[in-house]
Amino acid sequence: MMRKKAYYSAITRRLVIAFFCLSVVPIVGFALVAKDQVEQTNIVKLQELANSTIEHRAEVISLFLKDRLSLLRLLVSLYPEDFLIQQERLEQLFLALAPQGDIVDLQVIDSSGLQFAYVGPYRTMIEGKRYDEASWFKETLISGVHVSDVFSGYRNVPHFVVAVTNPLKTLVLRATINSSIFNSLLHSAQLGPRGDAFIVNQAGAFQTPSLLGDTELNREERLLISFDSRQGSLVTDKYVYTSHWIDNNRWLLVIKANIEDSFGYYIQVRNRIIMLVVAISVLAMLGATLASVAISRNLQRSDKEYGALSMQFAQVEKMATVGRLAAGIAHEINNPLQMITNQAGWIGELLPEEDPASIKNLEEYQKAVEQIKYHVRRAGTITHRLLGYSRKMSTQQERVSINELVEEAVSFVEREASYNHIAINRRFNHDLPAVMTDGPQLQQVFLNLLNNAIDAVGQKGEITITTRIGTKGMLVIEFADSGPGIKPEALKQIFDPFFTTKQTGKGTGLGLYISYDIVQKLGGSIQAANGPKGGAVFIVEIPRSGFSENES
Amino acid sequence: MTELKKFSVLVVDDEDEFRELTVKRLNKRGLDAIGAESGERALDILQQNSLIDVVLLDVKMPGIDGIETLRQIRQIRPLVETVLLTGHASVDSGIEGMKLGAFDYLMKPIELEPLLEKLADAYEKKRLHQEKIEQAQIKRFMAMPT
Repeated sequence: MMRKKAYYSAITRRLVIAFFCLSVVPIVGFALVAKDQVEQTNIVKLQELANSTIEHRAEVISLFLKDRLSLLRLLVSLYPEDFLIQQERLEQLFLALAPQGDIVDLQVIDSSGLQFAYVGPYRTMIEGKRYDEASWFKETLISGVHVSDVFSGYRNVPHFVVAVTNPLKTLVLRATINSSIFNSLLHSAQLGPRGDAFIVNQAGAFQTPSLLGDTELNREERLLISFDSRQGSLVTDKYVYTSHWIDNNRWLLVIKANIEDSFGYYIQVRNRIIMLVVAISVLAMLGATLASVAISRNLQRSDKEYGALSMQFAQVEKMATVGRLAAGIAHEINNPLQMITNQAGWIGELLPEEDPASIKNLEEYQKAVEQIKYHVRRAGTITHRLLGYSRKMSTQQERVSINELVEEAVSFVEREASYNHIAINRRFNHDLPAVMTDGPQLQQVFLNLLNNAIDAVGQKGEITITTRIGTKGMLVIEFADSGPGIKPEALKQIFDPFFTTKQTGKGTGLGLYISYDIVQKLGGSIQAANGPKGGAVFIVEIPRSGFSENES
Repeated sequence: MTELKKFSVLVVDDEDEFRELTVKRLNKRGLDAIGAESGERALDILQQNSLIDVVLLDVKMPGIDGIETLRQIRQIRPLVETVLLTGHASVDSGIEGMKLGAFDYLMKPIELEPLLEKLADAYEKKRLHQEKIEQAQIKRFMAMPT
């Protein structure tokens, strides 16, 4: 029993686990996929935002550069050379431009690298310098324009230098430009508190300070510089980078957005999903447990039913086997019995022909012959019954009333019962439907059961016969007696042929065997049990109509 | 002992002891009894001997069994009545025998008295049947134009 309990609880456990996995694993999987999707979407959105921001900023910065360059170009094409090389003229021009506030100084240099005029704060630093060897000067003369990297001036303000030549390339106009405007532009391009925006040159040197205080580029950022396209973007676990080249790939504008900064909405979604998953899991667990317990109970019940059926089958099988065996034995015995009765009869016929004088005990011989014949008849009765019932002839079908059949059977034994002070109680259901069955055979069963009950009670007691409507279209007839009941070890073999608890010579042990056989043939069943108050109970179930299929 | 009309019986059984003793006892009762140890032998005897009235036939025999023998007896001697005898209470074979036209069937062990009664009944039936046929033949014969 304990092992069975463990077995069923193991099944329940396994089912719970299986159900849980089947229901929760997909949900968790879905949640993970959803999380991933949300993250991906978020990153794409962030990239889009960074892209549009950088586009805009790059445009503004390019425009600013172009503006300054075209201003200088305008000056060198507008004013003749001898005008520009005069110090006071240059000062006038500078004053005219000064309100712009981003041109720090102006310098005019001739093509041999000598300075003509200078307006601005660095006069002392550049006094008497020659520029013919400077690379920016050479570049300006060759390509007509030069834009330098950003440097911090002595007031610690970021600057860069722009230089152009006049159309005849006889002089160079150079201006220092305050680039602090970039810093404010980039400041407002910061995406999120942990985002960054800066400009680097082709060598990767910061042209504007990193908002996060970085002093050099990391590996990913260096990769961006190596991109050939005008615009590169990169996504790492932590950051979304976008970059944009400015001014013929001189400078690279980089916007760096921290992915986690953009997760505000995502975290809400994620929390909702987690709550949903937990809720569904709890429900699934509950459902799985309930279902598993139910399945396990069903299994237990069907196992029980199966066990009962198996026992029933085993019983049927046993009875069939025993029946065949009994029939075989009976058949083999019939032939020698025939010979015995034949020979005895022959002796009986020849005896009268003998000389009575020479046979002293003629009468004794004749008596012995009769006795032999009598005992052969007895044996024959047994073998005939065995054979007859193991191979029952086809049953007759007729409409019979069970109550009347029982009543009739009772009338056969009533005298004997009253003689032994045994009361026979009838508890009939008078609404029993008529049954299509073999009346005489069924009555034989009732008679057998009644006789057994009377034998069991012996003296003083009672027999109660109950008829009622059972389940599945069966009618039930119960015979309960007040006898000593059936011993547990006898219960197993009570329907076996030749099994008897009666005194030797009183019972053949065939009554119940034959009853069992008849009831089986009529499509019903018979069971023996002990009643709640002691005494034996025999329960016969008969179908309202129909016989077992195999009528042989 | 009942007074019997004299008629002839063929006892068919593969058990020699039983067959011979039964033949002996029937003859002692004044009947004309002979034995046959198998179905084949019984059919031979019936072919040659038209005077057999009743056959006492064992159902279970080696070779051709009682039921098959009965079938063939019905073909060659339709008037002969057969009583089946079986140690096997196979009611089925009994019923099958009845369907094939056996007069009745008996189960071993059976004493001589009831056996004799059954044989006499069978003979009676055969005799009546034969009489009817003879009368019909006579009628037809008389009705024939001379």
